[in-house]
Amino acid sequence: MHGRRRPGIAAALVVLGIFLCLFPGCGDLSRDELNRGVESLSALAAQGELIANGVARDATKSTYTRVMAKTLGGEAEHEAEKLADAEPEATVKSERNAAVHVAAELADLFSELQTFPGDEHHGVLVEKHMGEVKEQADAIVARLTGEPAK
Amino acid sequence: MKSILKIALGIIAALGGFLDIGDLVFNTQAGALFRYDLLWAVALGTLGIAVYAEMCGRVAAVTGRPVFDVIRMRLGFGPGLVALVASTVVNLLTVAAELGGLAIILQLLFDAEFSLFVVLAAIGLVIVVALLPFGGIERIFGYCGLMMIVFVATAVHQSPDWGEVAHGFIPSLSSSKLYLYFVVGVFAAALMPYEVHFYSSGAVEEGWDKSSLRENRLNAAIGYALGGVLACALVVVSGYLFHPLGVEPGDLGTVALPAQGAYGETGLLLALGGMMFCVGGAAIDSSFSASYNLAQFLGWEWGRYRGPKIAPRFTVSWLIFLFLAMLIVLSGINPVEITEYSVVFAVVALPMTYLPILMIAGDRSFMGEHANGRISTTLGWVYFALIVVLAVAAVPLLLMTNGGGG
Amino acid sequence: MNEQGEILVIHRLLDEQILDSEGKRCGRVDDIELQGSPPRITALLVGEGLYPRRVPKRLRGLARRLAGPERWGANALRVPWERVDRIDATLHLCCKAEELGLGEGDDPERWMVRRLPWN
Repeated sequence: MHGRRRPGIAAALVVLGIFLCLFPGCGDLSRDELNRGVESLSALAAQGELIANGVARDATKSTYTRVMAKTLGGEAEHEAEKLADAEPEATVKSERNAAVHVAAELADLFSELQTFPGDEHHGVLVEKHMGEVKEQADAIVARLTGEPAK
Repeated sequence: MKSILKIALGIIAALGGFLDIGDLVFNTQAGALFRYDLLWAVALGTLGIAVYAEMCGRVAAVTGRPVFDVIRMRLGFGPGLVALVASTVVNLLTVAAELGGLAIILQLLFDAEFSLFVVLAAIGLVIVVALLPFGGIERIFGYCGLMMIVFVATAVHQSPDWGEVAHGFIPSLSSSKLYLYFVVGVFAAALMPYEVHFYSSGAVEEGWDKSSLRENRLNAAIGYALGGVLACALVVVSGYLFHPLGVEPGDLGTVALPAQGAYGETGLLLALGGMMFCVGGAAIDSSFSASYNLAQFLGWEWGRYRGPKIAPRFTVSWLIFLFLAMLIVLSGINPVEITEYSVVFAVVALPMTYLPILMIAGDRSFMGEHANGRISTTLGWVYFALIVVLAVAAVPLLLMTNGGGG
Repeated sequence: MNEQGEILVIHRLLDEQILDSEGKRCGRVDDIELQGSPPRITALLVGEGLYPRRVPKRLRGLARRLAGPERWGANALRVPWERVDRIDATLHLCCKAEELGLGEGDDPERWMVRRLPWN
């Protein structure tokens, strides 16, 4: 009885293991997934730029800025964690590290907006930095999509 | 003169109350993802609700029977019960989505804990409904919803390539599943069944009879058509600003960003204010709709015009629906996500409630001379076919696109 | 009454909304009582206790458990056909709902609605 069951359990465990490895977040971060992640970072930076611009011109409401900065900053942080936790494919390792850096910077900028939602001076700075971060993100996307497959 | 004013005010209220959180979410996302390419779907959905609402309003005015009264009579107990259960689930999701959206907007304006605003919003809605008569409720939310016109102003201010915008009204299909998902979503958001059920019961609440038929037709033709302009404006401003930047508007606050860009703080406040009344009004409409459907199916007394003394079961069921919706929102599910599900499931359930109305509206033994003419009949059946196609495609597309996530 | 007429009546009669003599909504026609040969309508039947009869056989057990047993005078009421005044868009009775025990679910006393602040 026992002998006949053990190979069955072993086989089940192997299948389970394969199944778990196919689950996203547990396996390799592919080029496509990384690309999507960085594109969303670029989009977040673009929104951040628009919001910071409103602060810079004193043409917005501080509660709106604060709540939006909190929400979007949370999304940036979440993306940073997701990218940092995943194991990247060897070919995109450097891009992944750059993306994590971008995401972290983005989260910091949103945090600044949250702290100073009515300060025009900060708004100007954050707007400028958001633009730079967006460019960095776009550059990573270009490297990911422009790079020839190994 | 007095009747023209009354009709005009009714149209204005219909216009201001046209949008709800489904339109805000889907139209803004559609613009950001596909620029102006989905404007035709918005227009198609707008025409659809005008057709459906006109029929329901006509049936209610001529026979005094609102939708679920008709549904039980036409479909019988069994199928009618299925329609009731489906409608109730959809309505509950919708109320939750609107209530959650209302709380988000309040948070953007006043920055406090989200759950606090959920509870305050629910209490606020109860107070408004308790204090005001039916017509007053509709008028307040309708007129204040007119603040959404800031989006039309923003579109004009942005000065897009109007040729490109016009091109978006030409129907085009793509093999992209995401595109097709948004065709369904944008159309379904315009044609939410609760709006029509509410409209038909509202006709009885306001004491419509055959003399109200002209008002009914004008509400549909002008009020909803202008509402469609507002819906299209959402697509245009989002397409102009967000599409080139690749912004994916997953948050309700993002919807107001173009207005802030064009008109600064005033624009932002008008946008948020308009959104607040649209969504708040929709929360009332959808929760009333759930109670109307239940009470009408079971034969209870119903209606705000009857009051809690004469229609206590209707009143209590309304409070329960609102409470359940509040619990759904407080459970932590993102209101924008709830919105997506409520819109998709609404279109799946739509054929069940649309068909009986179409049949009754064309039945001369009920409607007499006011039965569907040739145009209404043709349009009615064309839309039914369209609705069935979308209802079948909706859930598969939702799953294949991972809820519009691509 | 010929068969054609019968079918037409049931089509218009079953599931119809009932209004009492004061215009109060007091339920729907959940079932019809037919007696004699040729069958004549002797009464309308109203109440949640009758719902299990209206669902497909397979679901009847579940429906019975949800709606409870048929309790005549409580969740199943008999409206003699003589009490029907006329049928137009809805079915009108010639007496008040209370006399037949209809619409008790909406009895304000039952809901203590008077206690609410705005009443």
